[in-house]
Amino acid sequence: MLLDMHSSASASENNETRKPQKQYCEHHAECLKKIQAVLDGEASEAEKEHFRENMDDCLHCIKMYHLEKCVKESLQAKVDKRLCPDNLVQAIKAKLNIPA
Amino acid sequence: MSVIMSEEIEEIPLASSETSYNDAEKNDIFNREFMPHINSMYNFAFRLTMDEDDANDLVQDTYLKAFRFISSFERGTNAKAWLFRILKNSFINDYRKRSKEPSKVDYQEVETTYNSEEAAEVDHTTDLRVETVQDMIGDEVATALNSLPVDFRTVIILCDIEGFTYEEMAKILDIPIGTVRSRLHRARNLLKDKLKVYASSMGYDTDED
Repeated sequence: MLLDMHSSASASENNETRKPQKQYCEHHAECLKKIQAVLDGEASEAEKEHFRENMDDCLHCIKMYHLEKCVKESLQAKVDKRLCPDNLVQAIKAKLNIPA
Repeated sequence: MSVIMSEEIEEIPLASSETSYNDAEKNDIFNREFMPHINSMYNFAFRLTMDEDDANDLVQDTYLKAFRFISSFERGTNAKAWLFRILKNSFINDYRKRSKEPSKVDYQEVETTYNSEEAAEVDHTTDLRVETVQDMIGDEVATALNSLPVDFRTVIILCDIEGFTYEEMAKILDIPIGTVRSRLHRARNLLKDKLKVYASSMGYDTDED
C-alpha cells in the first residue's frame, strides 16, 4: 500500500480495483430489475456480469439484493399452500366418469 | 355454471394440431398429466379468488374444460402451464361477469392500475428492512399479497410461489416476456410497499439503520 503511494500507475490501478462502496445507486430501478432476474434464474449473461460488478461496490444494490431475496423466500416458504380437498377430486372424476 | 361456447374456446390454448385420443388415452392423460397439478391449481385458484367455494368452482370448471378440450393438448408437453392458462382465463371471464355486480371486487380499479402499468415505472425505493420481513409470519405476507390488484398478485403467485419461468408465464398470461418482467417488477414494488405499511402499522421498526 505504501509502495503504491509512490507509483501513480499502481495507485490508479488500485483505485480501479478497490472502489469505495457506493451508498446510493442512481440506476437502482434498472439494477433492481437485474437483481430480480438473477434471483428468478432468468438473467442474461450481461445481466449476471452487471450484477457481479455491482455486488462488489454498490451498497445500495447489495441491500436491494438481500431484501428481494428475503421477500421471495418468504413468499415461497411462509405463505400457506392450500391443498385441494379430496371430495373435489372425487367430484371431478365422477362428473367425467373417470375411475377413481 | 353455464358458460357460452365461444368464450370457452378462447380460454383453451391454441394447439398446432389437434390429436384424436380414445377414451382410455383421455383417462390416462387426465390421471397422469392433469391430476398431479391439482393441488397447485387449487392453491392458485384460492389465491386468485380468496374464497374456498369460488376456488372449488374454478378448479372444477377448469378440469372439466380441460377434459372436454383434451384434443388441444399435446401429450408430454407442459400440462401445468396449459392448465394454469385455462384456469386464469376462466377466472377472468367469471371475474368480469361478477364485476357487473357491485360486490366482490372493484374491476375499474384493476383496469386503471393495469393501464398505468408502464407509466408507473417510476423510481422506487423502500426502507423496508430485511429483518422486518424475516420476522413476519406467513399470514402477514399473504395478507400483503392478497391486497395487490389481481394482475400483480397473479405474476407473483406464478413466479415466486409456483416457480414458473418467465417464458411459461408469458404463455399462461398471453403477454410478451418483457411485459412479464416489468409487471413482476411493479408487482414486487407494490408488495414491498404493502409490507412496509403493514410493518409500520404493527409498530415494527422500518427505519434504515
